[in-house]
Amino acid sequence: MHGKCGLFFESYRAEAAVFQTGFQRTCLGLFVALLLVCPLVLDSYLVSVLNLMCIAVIGAVSLNLLTGVCGQISLGHGAFIGVGAYAAAQATLHGVPFLAALLLGGGAAALVGMFFGVPSLRLKGIYLAIATLAAQLILEYVFLHWESVTGGSRGLMVDPPQLFGFAFDNERKMFYLLLAVAACALMVVTNVMRTRHGRAFVSIRDFYLSAEIAGVNLFGYKLAAFGLSSFLAGVAGGLWAHYTMFISAEQFNITLSISYLAMIIIGGLGSVVGSVMGAVFMTLLPEVLTASTRSLTGIFPDIGSQLVALREGVFGLVLMLFLIFEPEGLANRWRLIKAYWKLYPFAH
Amino acid sequence: MKRKLTTTMFGLCLALAAMLALGGCGGEKKDDKAAAKAGGDIRIGGIIDLSGPTSSVGAPYAEGVKAGAAYINANGGINGAKIVLDVQDDAYNVQQGLSIYKKFAQEKVAAIQGYGTAVTEALTRNAAKDEIPYFSASYSAHLTDPKTAPYNFFTSADYSTQVRAGLKYFKTNWKEARKPKIAFLYPDHPYGLSPIPAAKEYATELGFETVGEATVDLKAIDATTQLLPLKDKKPDFIWIGGTTPSTAVILKDSKKIGLKATFLTNIWGSDENLIKMAGDACEGAYSLQAAAVYGQDVPGMKAVMEMSKNQPQMTHYVRGFVSMLAMGEGLRLAAAKGPLTGPSIKAALEGMTNYDPMGLAPAISFLPTDHRPSMAVFLYKISSGKLTFVAQESLDRKAEWLGK
Repeated sequence: MHGKCGLFFESYRAEAAVFQTGFQRTCLGLFVALLLVCPLVLDSYLVSVLNLMCIAVIGAVSLNLLTGVCGQISLGHGAFIGVGAYAAAQATLHGVPFLAALLLGGGAAALVGMFFGVPSLRLKGIYLAIATLAAQLILEYVFLHWESVTGGSRGLMVDPPQLFGFAFDNERKMFYLLLAVAACALMVVTNVMRTRHGRAFVSIRDFYLSAEIAGVNLFGYKLAAFGLSSFLAGVAGGLWAHYTMFISAEQFNITLSISYLAMIIIGGLGSVVGSVMGAVFMTLLPEVLTASTRSLTGIFPDIGSQLVALREGVFGLVLMLFLIFEPEGLANRWRLIKAYWKLYPFAH
Repeated sequence: MKRKLTTTMFGLCLALAAMLALGGCGGEKKDDKAAAKAGGDIRIGGIIDLSGPTSSVGAPYAEGVKAGAAYINANGGINGAKIVLDVQDDAYNVQQGLSIYKKFAQEKVAAIQGYGTAVTEALTRNAAKDEIPYFSASYSAHLTDPKTAPYNFFTSADYSTQVRAGLKYFKTNWKEARKPKIAFLYPDHPYGLSPIPAAKEYATELGFETVGEATVDLKAIDATTQLLPLKDKKPDFIWIGGTTPSTAVILKDSKKIGLKATFLTNIWGSDENLIKMAGDACEGAYSLQAAAVYGQDVPGMKAVMEMSKNQPQMTHYVRGFVSMLAMGEGLRLAAAKGPLTGPSIKAALEGMTNYDPMGLAPAISFLPTDHRPSMAVFLYKISSGKLTFVAQESLDRKAEWLGK
C-alpha cells in the first residue's frame, strides 16, 4: 500500500473519496473489464443469470438507500418496482423512446413512493413497516383491477427495449444495457451518500432527534429518501418489464418485497457493496440449489422429489445462518477478509 | 478466537457453496454428454411447481407428465426416438421459472411442459421469440389466441369455456318456469378473475339472473361474511372459482349457515383432496374437469393404471398424462414430416384435429388461428364421497369467444 502500513487522510474530502487508493481503482477497473468480457465467454443461460443479478442489484441498492442508509423500513418495495414496470411499459407502448420511458417509470414510482412515504413523518420502525405493507396491498389491488392501464388479470405484453433503432433482443445485448443502468444506479447512490444529503439520511437513521436538532428537515429528507429510492426501484421495474416482455400483478407481490429486504440484510445494511453482494447472493442461491439438485438427481434418481422439498428448507436455513453468523452482512465479511490479507502474514 | 471461528465457519460455507456449484456444473456437463451420446433423444423441459404454494396439485401433475413420457417411450417413442423429460421446480416464482426457462432454451429443448399461470404468462413472449412450443396447465383464455401467444398450447378447455359449458349444462337441465338465480364467488387473483367477465356475460345471455358476487381469498379460513348476504338472495347456483382449500371453506361454511344451492367449482377447485377437506359438506357439488378420474371406465385408464402401478392418483395426474400424450402426438406428426424444430412442432400441433387421448379427456384440436384445444368439458358430481362422472357438455367454437 504505497509503502505505508495504513491510510492517512489530511482532509475530509480525501476520506470521502470513492477510491481511496489507486489499487482500489485498478481492482474495480479490472472487475468491470471482466464483466464486460463475461457475455462473450459465458453461455446464454449464465448471461441471463447475470441479467437477473443486474436488475436485482438496482432494486437492492435502492431499498438499501431507504432502509439501510435512511433507516426507513419498507415492505412495499416490490409494489414500487411494479409501478415503475407498468408505467415504463405503458410509456413504450405509447411510443415513448425507451430511455425516456425508463425515466418516466422511475418518476411514476417516485411519486407513488413519496405518497406512501408520507406516513413516515409520524411512524417509525415496525409501525412504518405495516404502513408500507398497506401500500404493497393497495398497489397490488390497483395492478389487478385498473384494467385499462395494467391489463388486469391478463397482464401486459411489452416489447424488448430499443435505443436509437438498436434492439436489445437477446441476452448479451440486454446484459450491456442492464450493466450500464446498474452501474449508473450504483454511482448515483454512492455519490448521494457522500453529500450532505447523504449524511442527513444517516443522521436520521442513527437518531432522529439529534438530526432534527442539527437542523435536518426530517420530513423533507424522509420523503426525499422515499422518492429517490422509489425512483431507482421504478427504473429496475422498467428494466424487468422490458426484459421479461410480460408483466402481471402476481410478479410484484409481497414475496418480492421480502426478497429485496433479505438481499440488503444479507449484503449489509447501509452499504452499496453490500447491496450488490446481497443481490448476487439471493439470485445465485436458487440457481446453485437447482443445479445441485439436478446433479444429485442424476446420481440418485429416487431422492429427486425429496430434494425438491429440501430445497425450500435449505433456502430458509441459509438465511438463518447468515443472520446468526453474519449479522452485519457480506459487506462486513468482505472488509474483514481484505483487512486480513492486508496485514498478512503479520496479523495482530 | 471467536473471530477465527467465524472465519473458519465462513470458509467452510464458501467451500460448501463452491462444491455445490462445481457439482452443479459437473452435472450439467454430464447431461450434455448424455444428450450428445443418445443423439436421437428428444429433450423436453418441465417447469412445474413442486414446492411452492400450488405444489399440492403441481406435484401429481408433474408425476402425470412423467408417466405420459414413460408411456410414450414404452410404446415405441417418437418414431423410435426416446423422450427425455427433465422436470424442474419453479416454486411458483416468476424469476425462478424464467431462469429455468433460459437454461432449457440454451439447451435447445424441443418443447416445454409448463404449469402455473404466473410463470406461463411471463414466458409467453420468450417462448414465441425462441420458438419453443410451451404446454401449460394454466388455462387462461387469452393464451389460446395465437396472435398474442403463438407458441402456447394446453389440452383442457380454457377457464372461460369451462364455465360457459357448466352454465349451459345447468340451464339445459333447468325445469322451473322462473329464471335460475346464480351467484359468483372467486378469489381476487388473476386466475380467479380471468373467467368472470365471460361467465357473467354468458349467464345473462342464457337467462340466468345474477344475484350476487363476492371475493373469497385463496387462503381464506372463513367465508361466512361473504355467504350470509347471499343466503337471503337464495341463489339456485353458486360458482366457486378458487382452489380446493378455499372451496372447502366455502362449502363447509355454507352448510353451517344453511345456505342451500347447487355449487359449481372450477377445475382446480375440486379434486380428491376436496372430499377429504370438506367431508360431507361437498356432497352434491358439481365440478368442471378436463380429464377422467382414476378408475373411470375409459379406454385410456388401463394405460394410466399400468403407469401408476395401480396406485390411485388424483385427476391432476391424469391431466398431466394427457398433456404429455398430446405433446407426443404433435412431436410424432412433426417427426413424420421432417426434422423436429419449434416451428415444425407448432405447425404439426396446429394441424392436429380431433386427437383422442384414449378417452381420458375430450378430443383435442388446434388450428393455426385458434389454440382452443376443445370446446367440451367433463362435469363431475361428488356423490357418496366420490367424484362421479355426470356428462360431457360441449359448446360451439364461436370466433368471438377466442381469447376471452
